[in-house]
Amino acid sequence: MRQRGRPSRSRLLQLFRVLRLVRRTPVEAEEDLEVQVRRSLGFGFWVAVAWLILMAFVALFASALPIADPTEVGVGGARESPSREAFFGTDALGRDVFSRTLHGARISLAVGGFAIVFGMVVGGGLGIIAGYFRGRLDQIVGFGFFVLLSFPALVLAILITATLERSLLVVSLTIGILAVAPVGLLARASTLVYAEREFVSAARVLGARHGRIIVRELLPNVVIPMGALTLLGMAIAVVAEGSLAFLGLSVAGDDAISWGKMIVDGAGLRDLQNATHVAMFPVAMMFVTVLALNFAGDRIRQYFDVRELAF
Amino acid sequence: MARFIARRVAVLVAVLFAVTFLAFSAMNFIGDPLVNVVGPLAELDCEGIEAGLVADTSVDSASRDCDTVAEARATYHLDKPIPVRYVLWITDVATGDLGTSFKNDQPVSSIIREKMPETVILLVMAQIVSLGIAIPWGVIAAYRANRIFDRTSTVASFGLLSVPNFAMGVILLYLLSLRYQIFPSAYDGEDLRSLLFSMVLPAFTLGLPLAASYQRLLRTDLITTLQEDFVHMARAKGLPPMRIMFRHALRPSMFSVVTVFGVSTGTLIGGSLVVEQIYGIPGMGREIVTAVARDDFPVVLSMVVVIASTFVIINFFVDLVYSWLDPRVRAR
Repeated sequence: MRQRGRPSRSRLLQLFRVLRLVRRTPVEAEEDLEVQVRRSLGFGFWVAVAWLILMAFVALFASALPIADPTEVGVGGARESPSREAFFGTDALGRDVFSRTLHGARISLAVGGFAIVFGMVVGGGLGIIAGYFRGRLDQIVGFGFFVLLSFPALVLAILITATLERSLLVVSLTIGILAVAPVGLLARASTLVYAEREFVSAARVLGARHGRIIVRELLPNVVIPMGALTLLGMAIAVVAEGSLAFLGLSVAGDDAISWGKMIVDGAGLRDLQNATHVAMFPVAMMFVTVLALNFAGDRIRQYFDVRELAF
Repeated sequence: MARFIARRVAVLVAVLFAVTFLAFSAMNFIGDPLVNVVGPLAELDCEGIEAGLVADTSVDSASRDCDTVAEARATYHLDKPIPVRYVLWITDVATGDLGTSFKNDQPVSSIIREKMPETVILLVMAQIVSLGIAIPWGVIAAYRANRIFDRTSTVASFGLLSVPNFAMGVILLYLLSLRYQIFPSAYDGEDLRSLLFSMVLPAFTLGLPLAASYQRLLRTDLITTLQEDFVHMARAKGLPPMRIMFRHALRPSMFSVVTVFGVSTGTLIGGSLVVEQIYGIPGMGREIVTAVARDDFPVVLSMVVVIASTFVIINFFVDLVYSWLDPRVRAR
């Protein structure tokens, strides 16, 4: 953006920079080679992705699967150990833990997915605009991000949810707001780098408008590092939903089942002592899912060679 | 340095104002503030009752309820426009008057004074646990980088980072307190010794994942430091390897850990809210959750403001310490 509105002498300079773009500099060519050598995601990545796809499938079709009704009280006795009828046993109210665990994937993944998409759209948008236009706008947006990050994340979440009805949308939005600042800072940082590059100058010399430069030149480049961190962000969002559940601030209602709420239900001393499975199956499910998200996310981050970990 | 500090203080003040304003607006813009403060009492038609126009249905309590409503209006200056209201409220907060809980008539500042020590003890213990584990772990992993210990520990730290702290809490509680009864399962504040002992499990719950993230940072930085000339020099002098690691290489490798220390305090504060629930520790976290559950909004608001301000101030000092450690930061 440095060149905007300067006299024609610098326009000429820009043109030279554009011409240099025709031949790639040796450094850039070398970078490309290095990236190609490392282009492999590994076996573990596909295992993690397979687990995530399985979870997504379970979340989507939980109610169509031939399993017990997750909200039906007294399917078996209370606190029964895992058996052939109830694979994961039953909880204090005699509800089927297996069925509840599968249904729990819904809210956990929906909140995680929605939150990170919201963070990317709002935070990413603000970050790109701030990084492209700089100046006063950048300062205001930057300060806003800084203020958001000045709250311990969970405390900010309490502040937002405390006075509201806790629907699925509100909880997702809350966690999404937490994601805005970190994603925004990342988007801003990469925009600053790309806005200085020759192809952006080239577009400007050709008379492209700001909107076009942002959407056609900057966005495709900034989306890559942002997208590479999607899965890592989702892992954080899934955990955040669980934390909110522990504070009694996750999605309200008995038919709204999430892993976090199930763990809370089973974490009382009496349940933990006599019916460990009630808490441990959702704990295990959450751990494996978060691990898969982290692992796949980390591989993707390495694959696209994104160094900044803004979260 | 003086100019650097002056600029930092200016930012600190601006952020404190923004943080308090955000918290304040959450109460004043999301829903009717009077309802947020006193709940259904806000519906009461006090002027009507006073003038005798509306029948006083709840004979003996209505006038008291009306007093409460009037008191709430006065405390939160609800008859004033919003900017004035914010200024009056922030003046009260700055002078230590955090309002009164309308559910049990306790001043919020005394609630906080009562609950703060438990949470602070927990946070300090968690940091001690995590640094106590991470430093030796990181040093040994870096000393034998890419050998078997380092490889397994990388996997282990990755796994630890994927355990949410509430899951860690439930697992530790079950294993070390219910199954093998080594630690108490709940808070015991009888004397200092049993208090600290009952805080061990919560501290580990918070500290273990944090130790993993510190270990990763420390290991990476140490491996870089070990390439430096002064390390070769020390080795050539024949100093024992562990003395080189701890006395020579450790200090210049702590920058990343110090940076993350401030940020991790925020994570820890969030984590302590959850962990206090699991182990029944009567700290700030438990109080805030109770307050949310009974819609005691003045308490929630004041606690959020206190916690967030403390966090901002901690980060301010971490920043200062960091720039004192590394003069390059000041130039930015």
